[in-house]
Amino acid sequence: MPVVELSYARIQKLVGKVTKKQISDSLPFLGLDIESEDKDLVRIEYSPNRPDYSTDFGIALGLQGLLGIKTGAVKLKIKKSNKYQISVKSEVSKIRPFVTGIVAKNGNIDNKILEQLIQMQEDLHMGIGRKRTKSSIGIHDLDKISFPLMYTTTSRNTKFIPLKSTQENTISEILEQTDVGKDYGYILSNSTKVPIITDSIGNIISLPPIINAAITTVTTKTKNLFVEVTGINKYDAEDMLSVVATILESAGFTLESVKISGAKNSSPKLDQKKMSVSIFLINQILGLNLNTSKILSSLKKSRLDASSKGKNIICTIPAYRFDIFGPMDLVEEVALGYGIQNLDPTLTSSRTIGQINPVSLQLKSLNQIMIGLGYLEALNSSLTSKRVLYDMTNRDSTKLISVLDSKSQEHTILRDSILPGLLENLSRNIHESYPQKMFETGTVFTINDPISEKISFSSISAHKDANFTEIKSILQSALKIGFGITIETKTTSHPTFEAGHCATVNLNGKSIGVIGKIDSKIVENYKIRVPVVGFEMSLSESIL
Amino acid sequence: MSQVFHEIEKKIILSLRENPKQSPEMLEKFTQLSPDQIRRGIEWLKLKNLVNVDESKLSIISLGKNGIESFQKGLPERRLLNLLKNGPRKLSELQKELGTVFGPSMGLARKNNWVEASSENVLIKNLPLELPGEKTLKQIGEKKLPINEIDNNDLAPLLKRPDFIVEDILKYKKITLTDSAKSIVISDSSGEIDVEAKVPDVFIARTHPLKDTIDEIREIFVTLGFSEIIGNMTQSSFWNFDALFTPQDHPARELQDTFYLDSISAKKIATPQQIRKVSDSHKKNWRYHWDINEARKMVLRTHTTCVTIKYLAENKSDESRVFSLGRVFRNEKVSYKHLVEFNQIEGVVVGKDANLRNLMGIQREFYKRIGITKIKFWPTFFPYTEPSLQTMVYNERLGKWIELFGMGIFRPEVTKPLGITKPVLAWGGGIERIAMLKYGLDDVREFYNNNLNWLRSTTKCQ
Repeated sequence: MPVVELSYARIQKLVGKVTKKQISDSLPFLGLDIESEDKDLVRIEYSPNRPDYSTDFGIALGLQGLLGIKTGAVKLKIKKSNKYQISVKSEVSKIRPFVTGIVAKNGNIDNKILEQLIQMQEDLHMGIGRKRTKSSIGIHDLDKISFPLMYTTTSRNTKFIPLKSTQENTISEILEQTDVGKDYGYILSNSTKVPIITDSIGNIISLPPIINAAITTVTTKTKNLFVEVTGINKYDAEDMLSVVATILESAGFTLESVKISGAKNSSPKLDQKKMSVSIFLINQILGLNLNTSKILSSLKKSRLDASSKGKNIICTIPAYRFDIFGPMDLVEEVALGYGIQNLDPTLTSSRTIGQINPVSLQLKSLNQIMIGLGYLEALNSSLTSKRVLYDMTNRDSTKLISVLDSKSQEHTILRDSILPGLLENLSRNIHESYPQKMFETGTVFTINDPISEKISFSSISAHKDANFTEIKSILQSALKIGFGITIETKTTSHPTFEAGHCATVNLNGKSIGVIGKIDSKIVENYKIRVPVVGFEMSLSESIL
Repeated sequence: MSQVFHEIEKKIILSLRENPKQSPEMLEKFTQLSPDQIRRGIEWLKLKNLVNVDESKLSIISLGKNGIESFQKGLPERRLLNLLKNGPRKLSELQKELGTVFGPSMGLARKNNWVEASSENVLIKNLPLELPGEKTLKQIGEKKLPINEIDNNDLAPLLKRPDFIVEDILKYKKITLTDSAKSIVISDSSGEIDVEAKVPDVFIARTHPLKDTIDEIREIFVTLGFSEIIGNMTQSSFWNFDALFTPQDHPARELQDTFYLDSISAKKIATPQQIRKVSDSHKKNWRYHWDINEARKMVLRTHTTCVTIKYLAENKSDESRVFSLGRVFRNEKVSYKHLVEFNQIEGVVVGKDANLRNLMGIQREFYKRIGITKIKFWPTFFPYTEPSLQTMVYNERLGKWIELFGMGIFRPEVTKPLGITKPVLAWGGGIERIAMLKYGLDDVREFYNNNLNWLRSTTKCQ
């Protein structure tokens, strides 16, 4: 979850007539988690579906609504202008086909705002931009640009001075040498040419989705901004633009339109959309009986506009609220505006009868029997390591199931057996008193179009007199008393067990497990100083 | 009432009644018990609060190398004075006879006005009967003595001399009876044993503490009318993600968060209709190229929601309460608060009462039954539920609010493509977190260490 660090004093100024406590009490009810606080600074975690909450302007809009200071939808006031135009060349169609943009004028950019704009841009890139593959933003100093602009392609040998540099480089160099080039260059790897935005005097102002040119760098002296968004589809690009436009307007900029044409591109509308939700659905889902006016006021507190039409509510949703897919999202907006703290939990009696799964019941029964026999229950991970599972026990690892890119070396292989984990447990308890007797039941995995999951049961006993007879007695009695099953043991050999002290566990003539004395070399390698006996058998093929 | 004592205890008490203050050595002598028996007996009686053991330190004074020499030959200054007894002597002669001690003893004798020296001769001026330190030297020379039996003024001049006096710190115990022991009646009938004595612990066999919590949670939900369903831990991405409206380019689906099985894909993932409808919902709402091969990739389930949604898709009942409980996986670095594999419970309600307030009511009831009463609900975001809430519970030990179960109502974008028409309440969360609160653990890894010391000694939670 993304986190943004903000100042209470700034939020207070933006929201108006509100105490610090009111803010910190209200944030959770906007769905924002306070991660930490330090005097005036507060770190807020927000959901990636609400990128407008990546700045204090966006959070202030939400708080104003919730606290009833300012309600209803935020309207974008975009002045129509013919001064700013982008023509799109068809060459971009196969690489990054869409561009959109807006102009924001007469704003004051202090360091705090600059910092937040950069942060918002990064969060948008990571979230709805899907690491810039779907869409990406460039924010420029408008006054350094000569319109009209052209969105076109160029060769990788073209040179310009990239952001944060003073030196002219070829695009190939930028992609190979800068951090952003290395991180995002792959997005352009399918074509020899790359997309660029150039102005009317031939300056390259942007190499989307990698980097802007140094010439349009935004500083605290910048008054007027040009924002462009490029992407692989028009809707995502415009969604992203709508968030930036809304935040800039809240920050005091006046917006002017940018005209876009060519290669299936068109000017952005950033229009509000209308959506209807039935009063019945709202009350059904929330378990409330709200009247129309309460619903309308709740929606307005969630910064939407709403009116009633018969049994329905018609909502007007600003463009930046593209997280709203359908009526159910509006139900949530009603709940938020109404206040989650005002919802009273209720408990109605169940009309269904609860049941424990038969598998759980059988396992519980087996647990009780093993405990009665003096065995302690162990729990190990299903995801373990090749060392524990195969190397230490001499087992064949040719059919191992491994996961990709595990962050932990101890958890890379899915277990096909439980016994090795129990031996590992013994090795970590050699300083504890003996006898040590443990058992475990759990899922084991084998490759079988694609994976077969079976429940396995394993026990071990370690002490100075541990022997085959003891462990066979345990298994035999557990199955006979617990489940009325009689097993037989037949001589076999197994890499984990000592030759001559190892047998298969047979049920109705079919082998369902193995039992015996653990090979003394293995026990020695684990530095265990007493003999160990044990077994493992499939429950899926016997009692389950 | 009389009290039963071990033979050893009996002897010690009786001996102390005769001789109220004794050292262990004295007790050995009087009771004829071995030093080890005395040590154990005192320990037992101390635990029963029947004897006091006062430990004190005493310094014992004896002679060092030079002290022993002086004890045998006299102090150097005494030797000097002895040589002068019969009249004045030449300096050079004295120097020859006394050797290295001549200088210091001469200095001392002159300082104290015992002798008078000219450039060549030395003669007695005033002969003292006893020199400072001589009395003490004699005392200690005969026998080591505790410091409190020595005249400290007389010892002081000896202490200054190198290798003269050795001080040993001796610890010693004095055993006395407590007031209650003085009046206690000692049972003298034979064959009785001390039923109040301490006995060793035995290690019990038991279910794993985490399993106890899992069983408890399972039973609570069964009594709330829920039935348990079981599903696989390995799942196709289709059921783990696609069916839950998580787009294929969503960050949660990346290798760094989810465990993908190396080169294993499922051939059959769902019915053709389910696949078509789910992919349509993705294309329409998320606007991207949906790839069936992504949906086929096998993962270790990241939640048990895949089990419940599959169940709902297969049993489109109008009224149902089910839950699933089991291991889920996240590709995380293992730490005191994160495991790669942990247990989750996930429940759903379908039916007439499926509304948000009832969902909150079920949660509140569940928490009440596991002993948590201070709870509140906050809005949150999950990709597959709308509205979505999380429960915050207050933990007294940690003194803060902790996030527990998440909950919500399945999005129509999830239910519709799978043919589920009724609203579905869903909730779930990690079990280890609850178990940690119950057992007061701060490190979640303890549950999977199988540390026998912990398993054998942890108190079972009720």
